[in-house]
Amino acid sequence: MDVKRQVTIERVSPAVAGNGTPVEKAVDPDLGTAVIPVERYISHEFMKLEWEHVWTKVWLLGGRSDDIPEPGDYICTDIGKESVLIVRQHDGSVKAFYNVCLHRGNRLRPEGIGKGAENFRCMYHHWTYGLDGAIEHIPDLSSFPQGCPPAGRIQPLPAGEWGSFVWFSLNPDVEPLADYLHPVNSHLSPYHFERMRLVRDITVEWNCNWKASVDAFNESYHVQGIHPQLMWYLDDVNLQIDCYGRHNRYLIPFGTISPRKDLPSQIPPPIQFMMQKAGMDPADWDGPMTGIRKAIQRHMRQFGHKKGRDYSELNDDQLTDDYHYMIFPNVTLNTHADDLMLFRQRPHPEDPDKMLYDIWVFELPDAETEDPNAEYRRPKHQHFKYGDKSIGLVLDQDAFNLPNVQKGMHSSGFPGLWLGEQELRIRHFHKVIDDYLAAGGVQ
Amino acid sequence: MDLGLAGKKAIIVGGARGIGYAIAEVLAREGCELAISARGSDAVKDSVASLKRYDTRVVGGAVDVKKPDAYRKWLEKAVDQLEGCDILIPITSAGGGLGSEKYWEKAFEVDVMGPVRAVDVVLPHMTKAGSGSIVLIATTSAGEAMGGPQPYNAMKASLVTWGKQLALGHGKDGIRVNVVSPGPIEFEGGNWEMIKDTMTKFYDATLRQQPLGRFGKPEEIARCVAFIASPAASWVNGSHLIVDGGFTNRTHF
Repeated sequence: MDVKRQVTIERVSPAVAGNGTPVEKAVDPDLGTAVIPVERYISHEFMKLEWEHVWTKVWLLGGRSDDIPEPGDYICTDIGKESVLIVRQHDGSVKAFYNVCLHRGNRLRPEGIGKGAENFRCMYHHWTYGLDGAIEHIPDLSSFPQGCPPAGRIQPLPAGEWGSFVWFSLNPDVEPLADYLHPVNSHLSPYHFERMRLVRDITVEWNCNWKASVDAFNESYHVQGIHPQLMWYLDDVNLQIDCYGRHNRYLIPFGTISPRKDLPSQIPPPIQFMMQKAGMDPADWDGPMTGIRKAIQRHMRQFGHKKGRDYSELNDDQLTDDYHYMIFPNVTLNTHADDLMLFRQRPHPEDPDKMLYDIWVFELPDAETEDPNAEYRRPKHQHFKYGDKSIGLVLDQDAFNLPNVQKGMHSSGFPGLWLGEQELRIRHFHKVIDDYLAAGGVQ
Repeated sequence: MDLGLAGKKAIIVGGARGIGYAIAEVLAREGCELAISARGSDAVKDSVASLKRYDTRVVGGAVDVKKPDAYRKWLEKAVDQLEGCDILIPITSAGGGLGSEKYWEKAFEVDVMGPVRAVDVVLPHMTKAGSGSIVLIATTSAGEAMGGPQPYNAMKASLVTWGKQLALGHGKDGIRVNVVSPGPIEFEGGNWEMIKDTMTKFYDATLRQQPLGRFGKPEEIARCVAFIASPAASWVNGSHLIVDGGFTNRTHF
């Protein structure tokens, strides 16, 4: 490794982590060193296989549970060529449906969140469906000698909730949600995402394949390439990669300086910011630069209650580090004690060179600085094309890079991805895609 | 030109990295015997080992200038080990920091009292010898605003004033005292390298102000310090030399 210093990161032991998020290193799967064929990122044929054997087989993230707290609240979300309606029921459960009227195929609702619907009435001819999807009314029913469509309802889809999020599947025979998410559902429950509030809700149209975006967040090897500023507050070399079944994660130490950099004589501004966020005064720090990460952990453990925060289920490392999870196929979770930065990468309906990149940022309220009685205002959803607006320095750096990756992938001079050990999660991701293709009879 | 540094005994407080190390290296190359200090023992060990390739006596110790007793003890020991002290260059700094009162305390302890305590220990030895050369290191940020209101600039400014007073007070004993103010200096492991990545706009704006289109290098400061410290600069006393590639705007008439 091209490093300037040998750094040993002090990590909590499995014994200390107890029943919380496991910290054991998972045995690395032997996935070989083969080239990942570039066709996976650029060909329409592969895109079709993906739709048939992956997107329509897995569980997919639909939205946030607390966006639809009351009966009749709904989320309408698109995935590829499909649009799905997720509706809170009178009994508190959620149901999902294809967002399409049985009459002439009109979409029932535009994408977005709706509140307190009593029913769903198609704009075209006013066919009306109940919250449970059953046909309530067809104008001039007697003019249909064949009667109403035999199912009597818009087609239902599996739906469920976990982790304060609503999920759906386009696969009527999908396994239970908890089985699908295992084991990362139990890994993530100590964070209590339900205590966090959405503070950012953005969708950006990116000119790259959705997997190129997933890949960009699944390795830290590119930090030294396109994110030089990150090397001043995280360790991009000493991270732990764990692959589990179809999902995977890595644990990145924050509040420390990359081994690729000499230690500076002053605390880097981003680490100062971390200290301040934890309630520390960087001017107080008189110890070695390498001791700050643990000091932040101790401080948060001791004073977190002042901000109204309960870290009792989290281990010390979770107070500083990025426990970075990927839920197959398309959810990236940058998980921290006080916040969650979640990315959902969605494919374009037809074009393998395009995708939708959703950014949802959640934060714990701060009892010290915020009025607990102040009304929470959900941020409005923003949707724009890459380049129209900044999405923050780090993500701008990724966003700037990815269209060029996608263009390069179309070159006759590029046979496919040449992955190293630091990119094990990308290899694992493709292995899981292979498994789904194989289950569908594709070799 | 012979600087006359061969065989001179020099103490550099804060000589393990950056400008301090570059000064140590130039002096070692010129044949000075050296005592260097830094806060971290690993840093001192590495620097001493590296300086020994110049085939001169180099001793070093880890010492925190904020701990006066241990610090003075180390200085006395350094004078002892070198069997005298012809040159003193105390260059410790707590660096920048805005907002907290603690930064004032730190800057006072490290940037001001670091040099003050060293001078206090060394002066009697130089007085007894009837000769000596002290170079204090300030900053161009003392003379021109930079980086927001903060103790670093103000505390470093006090060295310029104090240096002149020392020069006037001890000239009669054959001791010269001068101040060198470097402009922004970039090196691997230095703050400007970090600022380049983490505060890119500030870095770029500062770079644009550089008439020579780049930042200074530690050895470019070190060569000036070495000259002023050396017997070759025997008539330079009580001066304040700006070494900044023309970075500051003020015209010195």
